[in-house]
Amino acid sequence: MTDHAFDLAPAPDQDPAPGQTPATDPAAQAPTGQVPSGPFDPPGVHWQGVSSRLITARLLSVGIFLLVPFVLGAVFALVFSLVWLWIVPAVALVIGIWCVAVVPRQVRAIGYAERDDDLLIRKGVMFRSLVVVPYGRMQYVDVQAGPLARRFRIAQVQLHTASPATDASIDGLEPAEAERLRDRLASRGEARLAGL
Amino acid sequence: MSESTTQPDAPPTDLTWHRVHPVTPVVRGWSVIAVLLVIVGNQTLDGLPAGQNMLAGDGWWQILGGIVVVGLIGLGYSALAWRMTTYAIDDESVRLHTGVLFRQQRKARLDRLQAVDIVQPLVARLFGLAELKLEVAGGSDSGIKLGFLKLDDANHLRAELLARAAGLRVGSAPARTAVPGGGSASGPGEPPAGEMPAEPGAVVGHVDLGAPEAPEQPVMEVPPGRLVWSLVRTVAMIVLVLAVLGLVGVAIGTREIGTLFTALPLVLGVGGYLFGRFTREFNFRSAISPDGIRLRHGLLETRSQTIPPGRVQAIRLTQGLLWRSADWWRVEVNVAGYGLSADGTTNNSVLLPVGTRDEALGAVWLVLPDLGTADPRALLDEALSGIDAGEHFTTAPRRTRVLDPIAWRRNGFTVTGRALVLRRGRLVRRVEIVPHERTQSLGLQQGPWQRRLGVATFAMHSVPGPVTPTVPHLDQHVAGALMDEQARRAREARAHAGPELWMRRDEVAAVVETIEDDDAKTAPYVETAPPAAGAPDDEIGDARE
Repeated sequence: MTDHAFDLAPAPDQDPAPGQTPATDPAAQAPTGQVPSGPFDPPGVHWQGVSSRLITARLLSVGIFLLVPFVLGAVFALVFSLVWLWIVPAVALVIGIWCVAVVPRQVRAIGYAERDDDLLIRKGVMFRSLVVVPYGRMQYVDVQAGPLARRFRIAQVQLHTASPATDASIDGLEPAEAERLRDRLASRGEARLAGL
Repeated sequence: MSESTTQPDAPPTDLTWHRVHPVTPVVRGWSVIAVLLVIVGNQTLDGLPAGQNMLAGDGWWQILGGIVVVGLIGLGYSALAWRMTTYAIDDESVRLHTGVLFRQQRKARLDRLQAVDIVQPLVARLFGLAELKLEVAGGSDSGIKLGFLKLDDANHLRAELLARAAGLRVGSAPARTAVPGGGSASGPGEPPAGEMPAEPGAVVGHVDLGAPEAPEQPVMEVPPGRLVWSLVRTVAMIVLVLAVLGLVGVAIGTREIGTLFTALPLVLGVGGYLFGRFTREFNFRSAISPDGIRLRHGLLETRSQTIPPGRVQAIRLTQGLLWRSADWWRVEVNVAGYGLSADGTTNNSVLLPVGTRDEALGAVWLVLPDLGTADPRALLDEALSGIDAGEHFTTAPRRTRVLDPIAWRRNGFTVTGRALVLRRGRLVRRVEIVPHERTQSLGLQQGPWQRRLGVATFAMHSVPGPVTPTVPHLDQHVAGALMDEQARRAREARAHAGPELWMRRDEVAAVVETIEDDDAKTAPYVETAPPAAGAPDDEIGDARE
């Protein structure tokens, strides 16, 4: 969902999405300290988290994205001494602070687990989602890493089934882990391959 | 594609390559020519000074000459394109080579065949031609279109392809009698329409391949009167009528005709939608055959679809508020490859445009002869019009009425031996059925409000199409358990699912015999409760007792 918006474009200048993040995740600041439980934590599943470098990477891309309106707004406000124009940098600042508060929790909420026959992916703090993808249903696996992601040595693995609704991507993996996961998923998918 | 062992530039020489019908360029190009004529006509008439006769001056010749030149160029190009288009079939695949400047070679595996359509646009019908569309599960525009062929050839080819896709070995496969499409007498220049009857037999030459047309048993048809009434009783029609009435009222009140034109786009859009649905779904007939489900429909452009067994990924039954008094239902399906067209309308994903409850259940039976439950009729009745938790259904808890004040009593699901049945919507009733072995992936979502209430939304991901199976606001523990069990059930169902080559399954023969013996056209769910479906070999027999 919101995480996904980040995933696709590690290069911030190409990415309009980070600006939307706070809008789609307005309640993420609400106190949600407890660990996920209930249906989002099936018994006997060992969750693996993703690299904490993803936090830095995401915050950096948001920061670069917000820097433009912040600087432009501030400069114009100073040059033309328009008081109301300070709204622009103020909004940018608020969004930035919001992201600083939200993104670490979002990243820590990402988890995946390889079970014998399917892969579980869990995401989201306030808007939670859990996806179960059977290995036999995978059509192909993508591994992506943009320039910023490569700098932080993280990569994204995305699973595709025949359904476009399957939103199964894991961001912030160590490159070695991404490769291992890709190969493992591919081989497991082949072993359990079924038609549509 | 691991099976593509041949070099793209060196296709196997034992393949027989065929051409499509030589009239194809004319059929494809007529719309371009018509548009050209309209544009030129408009421009000429508008550009003329008042009172001047366009036929008097020299301009007449220039215009006519221009049209002829453009037409000839277009025709020449399409003739060239026709000449470069060849296709061939072998036991495992269909190959199609197209393109003049940018050559394209496409190969579709027959064991991945999802559906075969024979489409006849209006102009093609005048020539007795048809286009054969093979859908494979590669997303939109991934199928193979063979067009145009003579209707008989298209029918033969379809029977042939379905037989091969089913895994039947056609007797004379290596020694096909078809003439290779090399010797065309008409040449690449312009194939005049008058020459059509002379050569195409040899050029198209795709007859007598040995696979007989599979016998079919008609199941139901939609009378035109009911189709018209069903369209009248839609929201779109009400919008249309209200818009027209309002406009007329405004026009009368203000005494200005001009206001009528302001809402022309709305009227045209809604009217076009209704007209499109009418023409697409006119004369809708369905039948069952060993090849799968056969659908025929269309007023101007006719379409004859064949969906092989096991290719339907999900079913949806819908009933709008205005259809409730007549108890009409609309049945749509997801088939990989059909997808959704760009404008969101689906002209080939409809299994039943409008039908009574019995007919709708019959349509479900076409797809799933065995629902895996003792009393499918009672279960589906509860799915269609039931409310609150009943004998079969588990519903959303009462606390979700805050989130969904109208439909919370309907939101629910039930699991049978073969499929998951989801139910939602109270004003517009929806029932979605997904066979276990067709589950792609599963999802669970929970927003902040839902979390406060301890509920979650369960979603099944299906291939692109009109059906998106979800149930909102289930109790989170119920939803979690459902997700876990459904993953297991889907896995087991997949493990026991038959091969893609459906004729290699034993049960199909039994199915067909049962159908042919039985002359009752009503569906089994309609009749008295069938006994518990136990033996998988004789599903329909059980269900049709």
